[in-house]
Amino acid sequence: MRPFAYERPESITVALSRLGDDVDGAAVRPLAGGTDLLTLMKADIVAPHTLIDLKRVVELDDRIEMTAEGMTIGALATLAQIESHPDIVGSYAALAGAASQAATPQLRNMATIGGNVLQRPRCWYFRDPQISCWLKGGDSCPARDGENAHHAIFQDSPCVAVHPSDSAAALIALDATVRIRGASGERAVSAGQFFALPTDEHRLESVLGPDELILGFTLPAPAAGSRSVYLKAMDRKTWAFALVGVAASVTVTGGTITDARVVLGGVEPIPRRLIAVEELLHGSVPSDDLFRRMGELAVVDAQPLSQNGYKVDLARALVTRALADATAPAG
Amino acid sequence: MSATMDVKIEDGKLALTEHEGVDGWDASTPMTAVGQPATRLEGIEKVTGSARYSYDVRLPGQLYAAVLRSPHPHARITRIDTSRAEALPGVHAVISSANTPQIPWFEDSFVFDTTVRYVGDEVAAVAAVSDDVAADALGLIEVEYERLPHVTELEAAIRPDAPKLRDSGNIAGEPTVYDRGDAVAAMAGADVVIDAVFTTQAAIHNSLEPHGCTVAWEGDELTVWASTQSVFTIREDVASGLGIPEHKVRVIKHHMGGGFGAKQVAWKNDIIAPLLAKRAGRPVQLMLDRHAENLASGNRPPTRQHVRFGARSDGTLVAIWADIHIGNGAYQVGGEASNVSGMYQSLYRCDDVHTESRTVLMNTGPAVAFRAPGHVESAWVIEQVMDELARRLDLDPVEIRRRNYSPIDQVEDKPYSLPDGLAYCYDRVTADFGWANPAPPAVAGSKRRGRGFAAHDWAAGSGHPPAYAFAKLNPDGGIDLVTGTQDIGTGTRTGLAQLAAEELGIGVDQVRVQLGDTASGPYSPVSSGSSTMASIGPAVRGAVADVRQQLLRLAAVKMEVAAERLTIVDGRISVIGTTDQSMTIAEVMEDVAPANLLGRGARGPNPSDVSIRTFGAQCVEVEVDTETGEVTVLRVSTAHDIGRIINPALVDSQIHGGITQGIGFALTEERVVDHRLGMVMNANLEEYKIPTMLDVPPISHAHVDVPDSVANITGAKGVGEPPLIPTAPAIANAIFDAVGIRVHDAPISRQRMLTLLAEHGQSAAPEVAR
Ligand SMILES: Cc1cc2nc3c(=O)[nH]c(=O)nc-3n(C[C@H](O)[C@H](O)[C@H](O)COP(=O)(O)OP(=O)(O)OC[C@H]3O[C@@H](n4cnc5c(N)ncnc54)[C@H](O)[C@@H]3O)c2cc1C
Ligand code: SF4
Repeated sequence: MRPFAYERPESITVALSRLGDDVDGAAVRPLAGGTDLLTLMKADIVAPHTLIDLKRVVELDDRIEMTAEGMTIGALATLAQIESHPDIVGSYAALAGAASQAATPQLRNMATIGGNVLQRPRCWYFRDPQISCWLKGGDSCPARDGENAHHAIFQDSPCVAVHPSDSAAALIALDATVRIRGASGERAVSAGQFFALPTDEHRLESVLGPDELILGFTLPAPAAGSRSVYLKAMDRKTWAFALVGVAASVTVTGGTITDARVVLGGVEPIPRRLIAVEELLHGSVPSDDLFRRMGELAVVDAQPLSQNGYKVDLARALVTRALADATAPAG
Repeated sequence: MSATMDVKIEDGKLALTEHEGVDGWDASTPMTAVGQPATRLEGIEKVTGSARYSYDVRLPGQLYAAVLRSPHPHARITRIDTSRAEALPGVHAVISSANTPQIPWFEDSFVFDTTVRYVGDEVAAVAAVSDDVAADALGLIEVEYERLPHVTELEAAIRPDAPKLRDSGNIAGEPTVYDRGDAVAAMAGADVVIDAVFTTQAAIHNSLEPHGCTVAWEGDELTVWASTQSVFTIREDVASGLGIPEHKVRVIKHHMGGGFGAKQVAWKNDIIAPLLAKRAGRPVQLMLDRHAENLASGNRPPTRQHVRFGARSDGTLVAIWADIHIGNGAYQVGGEASNVSGMYQSLYRCDDVHTESRTVLMNTGPAVAFRAPGHVESAWVIEQVMDELARRLDLDPVEIRRRNYSPIDQVEDKPYSLPDGLAYCYDRVTADFGWANPAPPAVAGSKRRGRGFAAHDWAAGSGHPPAYAFAKLNPDGGIDLVTGTQDIGTGTRTGLAQLAAEELGIGVDQVRVQLGDTASGPYSPVSSGSSTMASIGPAVRGAVADVRQQLLRLAAVKMEVAAERLTIVDGRISVIGTTDQSMTIAEVMEDVAPANLLGRGARGPNPSDVSIRTFGAQCVEVEVDTETGEVTVLRVSTAHDIGRIINPALVDSQIHGGITQGIGFALTEERVVDHRLGMVMNANLEEYKIPTMLDVPPISHAHVDVPDSVANITGAKGVGEPPLIPTAPAIANAIFDAVGIRVHDAPISRQRMLTLLAEHGQSAAPEVAR
């Protein structure tokens, strides 16, 4: 690992100004739990010369609070805090489920939710310092015709890596808002808008500016009759990134679906919200047949690569199952 | 002269006679120490973190080494410039082909060769004041390569136009061909023939402690703290590599975090570290990191096995034919060979057998023995084919195996030392599992349950003589046991202490076991082939029997009775059958104090008129989710003929570990290579998926525990490798039982399972017919 300076400011203004000093956005980076950033630095994928530790910044915290409007979660809340918080377990089951199925207990004790949604892809070409790839600024993507069993099944970006975060899909399904602070003040972005497919000009997975920080997340109070779930398929029973994950939040009123948000993870460089599925669910009566058709609809546009056709089957099955789980009679 | 170690030279050869005067323990011998689940002697050290591994060695002035590895799968080094690395403050030595004599290593290559043959091949090495400085220094070494065409895929490497690793081509040596009878002709007489191609993947040992050593020179004497399964092998190879006499090299291994076969040979790090230490004039530690460990210190070679099995309609085999390719990687590193052919020739009775096996060179890290080398690979095939035959002929999978039972070793044409060993396994495991009970119904919805069976034999387990031990009886009645074997994490110390305690009639806590040091321990062989206990155990018994006899002769004088009438129970010597007259060992030893009695024991040759093997059988139950492809192993029962169980807790540990590795081999473990780049994509513990605790179901070990009194005087054989062998095919057979899909290629990953389910039409997954 290359040498770097470590700073621990107590005010967000100082932290933001240090980030703002850095013109290309790569040399000064914020540090939360470090479980992704330090791994990338050790592998020489990123090489900031300065790390700004966020842990002492008074405006940033790990508080999880239920208010009249809903839930607020500080950016520094760890996945361990989230998975075990009674209000999250009770009212935002998809998020608790996503957090609890991520990584390992040790990692969840360190990993923050702010860092979780900003973690970089696990694509093994990306993570290998000896290999050049498009997302790292290279010309082409070696995964597209290479070892791509874990890669994207929807082709909307030059990059076919998948977003590794479990929580990201859950936050979108729960209609979360990301609270962001930059030098010019605060802004709020819906979780659905926060992630953006990497493009030639912007080879990153989110709209967060290099000189901005995530303050936290706000989740609306759950509607009466709503339930959410997160299902994750892995190569083994635990300690693995999702092959496919699905977060679904469904509201049923008087036997009819009145609201639904369904998000697939593990299928492209950012979580994929299934708008067409959501629209069709709206006003429908829950049934196995309906959910099976939704599973089909979820993957109609899929274009699997040479080794990942199985993920289409997996996505179809998990969407069907998640909808059934989210609407199954309680008890 | 000891009666228990009779070393003679006969016909110009070393001839050892085993333990004259020491009777073998058989099933009726009453036992007090042996057979107990004694706690590991080093248990407290290990759980409190005070146990010292090779990595924990810290010496004054010690340096830390790092190795520069080839980024190319095949290339010629045209220039190396290490000057910038040497100039970095904190760097004490840099070595490479540019400044080091050509030391032969791995066939016709050198420690630092100018041709590199896989990504990870050693190019240069640095010793510096810290790991970080060493790593930085590697980045300053300039190397120019002339790239050569490469091949990293087994199927591609055997094509005639494949890039060649050696002038002679990619098939190493001559094919190994075995014929018994005429398999091709006999096949014509079969009622059913299964003709199929199976493949197994490259698997990585993934010892939690990587390969490596710490070395220090004192004058012209070298000490090596090595993570190894064979201190004497390291000594021999390091001494010959450095061109110094063996007595100038001392190899020590206290504790070890796993080897699984990969640490039975000396690797380049064992010679690079002393070279660096010599140049730097300081001790050097060279431990591999996980990346290097998984790239460059061995793997289970991938195989392709084309087989034909012919059977009569009653299930008896008429012919077995197998054409085998083994993807060896870039170098043949020695040690146990991956004997894929073996079980085709031996497991089932068959007069007409043909096997041919080719070892294929390719530009990947070299293969090395991996827990039951060859047998894991062939069991995947043989045991699935037997299952398939049973289904085609509507026979129970256990019954078809009973109908092909062989009580003799058909290759050696000798009876097995325990001819019913495998039958005991069949009986015990099926009873334990409830194989005859009606199967539970397939679960509702998308889930299907199935049950599978597989058996195996294992060629080793008989011990590799010679092996020697000393027993020193102290005046206080305790024993110092000294051998040159090593405890590779299996609990050898504890098992040996139990043997010694049993032989002398004292408690296990009265025994100290000194091992893992070439300077103090008399020779003992490599800990491989599940043979450590069977190799050194009899020698230990012999050494203790030797002091026991001396002790009883002393006691006989003191107690004025014939030595033959004396016995020792709980450290007390008394006349057999009476209680009136007795003395403690310490009281007898008063005359000897402060000296001690010295006993010597040797492991003699194995009996020549029988074949000694271990056997086993497993039943598993799995659940397959036909929609998500998730496979869950629900439970495993296993039974093994491993001879006497010296310590059931230690044996169960081996069973659990072996089956866990078997589950990984069956479902998740696979080295992934991008064949275009010639690079391994998952040389880490994140993407190479070993099972977690949640992947491992309850495991029931139905003890066979029948001493093999013919094998040796302890009656114990070996258990290290066997439990892993049948697990993967048993799982595959259970999956077939559940969903009617025969998986030919290991591992049965999500990707593979879902792809096969789709090919077979998921919804058409059959209700389980029984
Ligand atoms: C072995 C392993 C397995 C894993 N498995 C899973 C899994 O199954 N599912 C899953 O979802 N994740 C998994 N992860 C990822 C892990 O959850 C993330 O690494 C973690 O959540 C990141 O949080 P952190 O606090 O450590 O972030 P850091 O590593 O500190 O930071 C990550 C990135 O976010 C930036 N950052 C952090 N906080 C802020 C902020 N408040 N504002 C602006 N930028 C910020 C950093 O600059 C950096 O770019 C795994 C990780 C490992 C190592
Ligand atoms: S998928 Fe994306 S991250 Fe992976 S190699 Fe291609 S461009 Fe790079």
